[in-house]
Amino acid sequence: MSAALLPLAAPALPLDDAGQYVAGAYLVFVVLLIVYVGIMAAKLARISSEIASLAEAAEGGVTQPRPAAAPRTELEAEAESRAGGEIEEPAER
Amino acid sequence: MKLLSLRNLIFLAAALLGVGYGLVFFYAPLDADQGFIQKIFYLHVPLAIVALIGFVVAAVHAIRHLRSNDPIHDLRAYTSIHTSVIFGVAVLITGAIWAKASWGRWWVWDEPTLVSFLIVFLLYATYYPLRYAIEDRDRQARYASVFAITAGAFVPLNFIAVRLAEQLIHPRTFATANGGLPAEMMLTFLVCFAGMAALWVALVRFEITAKSVSGQLGRLRRALDAGPSAPGTAARIAPGSPNLPAARLPDQA
Repeated sequence: MSAALLPLAAPALPLDDAGQYVAGAYLVFVVLLIVYVGIMAAKLARISSEIASLAEAAEGGVTQPRPAAAPRTELEAEAESRAGGEIEEPAER
Repeated sequence: MKLLSLRNLIFLAAALLGVGYGLVFFYAPLDADQGFIQKIFYLHVPLAIVALIGFVVAAVHAIRHLRSNDPIHDLRAYTSIHTSVIFGVAVLITGAIWAKASWGRWWVWDEPTLVSFLIVFLLYATYYPLRYAIEDRDRQARYASVFAITAGAFVPLNFIAVRLAEQLIHPRTFATANGGLPAEMMLTFLVCFAGMAALWVALVRFEITAKSVSGQLGRLRRALDAGPSAPGTAARIAPGSPNLPAARLPDQA
């Protein structure tokens, strides 16, 4: 039997009293999950817009002339060279 | 790519939950006593067990935080508790629905299993006001860790106390004295449980990643506001700096 016909072969959800309670319980779980994912999506959207504004600020800083007398310290130079690559994902220790 | 990366975890959780709930409705037999209502068991019980284990996991992270003073462990304890509290909300609501269908009441106050879970849930609900009542970051993290350890120790004690209680309206699912679960039900339950555990881990890691990136953005913002020549600016935003939990900014490399 093809997978598309499987729901037809399966027993119908008994939507009597018991079926309504079961459907309600599973629906609660799905709704909670959707609310959680929605909140996280909103957070990610805010992070994304903040990244965009930071990128703009950084690009603006590059185009403006930097003060001439701003020698880098050894620590800054070392950090800058280390920052040359990708910033790593949180270390899942 | 790591085998258990966030993306793989989400796929794993979705696959396990999909298969698990497919088994619930198309494979697991109807319960002889409760009939179709018993299908809530495959949602309610895995949620409850995973939530309680999550509280214990938070306690372990809190111990590691107090031992190492590494803020990543505090973050993990926080997100573990946060996710378990959300699971706890689902446990309470699905349990109340099941109780109404089986016993005719939304809640039974003299049933130790229900009341003990509510106590644990309310205990962890106080974690947030406790944490955010303290402004100093270090003290906040330390006090939150102490709370997580104390409450985490309470969880297994509570579980044992409930098992020893005499009230048996709430079924003891894995009791072997009366035969326990049939093989088909047990297999279905285990798949659902694995799926729920994978979902918990995925949500925890998702939130840790989001919070790490958010924190890093705040530091970048402050570093930019301070100007490129501010002393120590580069060191603060460099990956691997002790002041900065490392996080990947996609397409920023």
